[in-house]
Amino acid sequence: MPREAEPSLNERQFILQALQENLRLDGREFDQYRPLELTFGDQYGVADVTLGKTRVLAKASAEVTVPYVDRPLDGIFNIATELSPMASPAFEVGRPTETEVLISRLLEKTVRRSGALDTESLCLVAGQKVWSVRVDVHVLSHDGNLIDAACFAVVSALRHFRKPDTSMESGILTVYTPAEREPVALSWLHSPFCVTWSYFGDEGEIALLDATWREEQVRAGSCTISLNRHGEICQIAKLGGTPVEAVTLLQCTNTALTKVQEFSAFLDRKLAEDIKRRDKGGLMAELSAENDR
Amino acid sequence: MPLDTSAYSLALLRVDGRRWNELRRIHAQIRTQAAADGSSYLEMGHTKVMCVVTGPSEPGPRRGTTGGAAAGASKAAAEVAVSVVVAGFSSVDRKKRGRGDKRNLELQSTISNALAASLHTHLFPHSVIQVSLHVLSQDGSLLAALINAATLACVDAGIPMTDYVVACTAGSTSTYAAGDESADPLLDLNHQEEQELPGLTVATLGETDRVAVLVCESRVQVGRLEGMLAVGVDGCKQVREILDRVVREKGKRMVLEGTVVKGEGLEDMDLD
Repeated sequence: MPREAEPSLNERQFILQALQENLRLDGREFDQYRPLELTFGDQYGVADVTLGKTRVLAKASAEVTVPYVDRPLDGIFNIATELSPMASPAFEVGRPTETEVLISRLLEKTVRRSGALDTESLCLVAGQKVWSVRVDVHVLSHDGNLIDAACFAVVSALRHFRKPDTSMESGILTVYTPAEREPVALSWLHSPFCVTWSYFGDEGEIALLDATWREEQVRAGSCTISLNRHGEICQIAKLGGTPVEAVTLLQCTNTALTKVQEFSAFLDRKLAEDIKRRDKGGLMAELSAENDR
Repeated sequence: MPLDTSAYSLALLRVDGRRWNELRRIHAQIRTQAAADGSSYLEMGHTKVMCVVTGPSEPGPRRGTTGGAAAGASKAAAEVAVSVVVAGFSSVDRKKRGRGDKRNLELQSTISNALAASLHTHLFPHSVIQVSLHVLSQDGSLLAALINAATLACVDAGIPMTDYVVACTAGSTSTYAAGDESADPLLDLNHQEEQELPGLTVATLGETDRVAVLVCESRVQVGRLEGMLAVGVDGCKQVREILDRVVREKGKRMVLEGTVVKGEGLEDMDLD
């Protein structure tokens, strides 16, 4: 099994010493994210998120399938996470590592279990036909904080996604192509985002946001908090690691809320820009006889 | 079946007759398996778990389970390898869970990381501490019970540790949708409450307020977190008292029976 290259003792010491003196290697503030960028693809439902050198691509897709027997009225919603060796030599194909399992569990809890997507609206014919929405998360480059980037990518992809329009007439289900009818957006209820804190020091007294890969290797513990902009916690995961004062955790949650509100506003702005870019001026422009030539 | 919480506001009693700040009955035993290095059995209400610790010992040629913080990465400290087996008969619906079940893997890695932070693993380089947990019966607060049982078994195995890692759950009386300000926090949720109400699992290091594990899987208003966390941390202190008493009583009995020699500096130990 390949292993990540570990930082040497000197590097470790250097990072920790610098943190004690309130300095980060890249000169950021402790609660400052790296520049976050989001680009949508030409297709609906493709989101490419970069956070510093971390890059995650998410693609949403939908198909019509038979629902699960025990849930005839609910559509199917899946998130598939894949960490390929492209991102880091420590990742292997086929066998999910612990990191991969934890990331996919976190995304699942944040987006699926919190009810961000209304699965009942995906039902076409009860017990027979439902939409199955699937998001594939691909990590293209790994420089720490995969969880926040992946969660942002998943939410962006789903918010951007349009599924083909359908109609039911006398028991016959018709799925229209995008040329026939404009595809429709998913029924989206709220947008949760993850914010991951990394803790350093013996007592976990130093808390960093958006740790890089190097910082992640040196950290003593971490806590991922998922919230939406209305201040609802969707999930908190501090899975072991160095114990941290309860008061610190509460402060972290409050800071996380302001970050989530920033993310939310950023995503709304990007989506609005994308709609403007796609809008060619409506029916009038389309039917116009004039052209550039 | 939905939990009827309408009666709560009338008598302030929960479905099983507890008040908001009451734990369920905790019954614990240590040194239950003679052959093991350390073992324990713990009941929190109807949640029953068993734990066996082997080690610290030389790692075998094959690594079966997931390791924790030090998983194969550093040889400078012992690896805490945790395996959780959920018995098929433990809950009402007999659900078959495979080996690669993600929920189970998450439980294992959480327990392993929580213990690794409290155990003095650096004293045992190149070794493995194998913690096997068996769930016999489930009635809510599973992660909390597993952490408590693992702590007891590690104490029994005599592995040096900073303090007990103790866990319990806390919840809130109304669902996330109701913006009801008067919602009471609740201590130690059972299965029914866990299904219906928002809740979290907290594990702290001994009597301090330092939180080692915090897992919340339900939607809840940010404002409720403080109350739930405070009740949870307080519950952990109560659990620590109970576990400590179990360990002391077992130690006392072993000294009286002559299984172990009374250590030095224990003159004030009460053997009556």
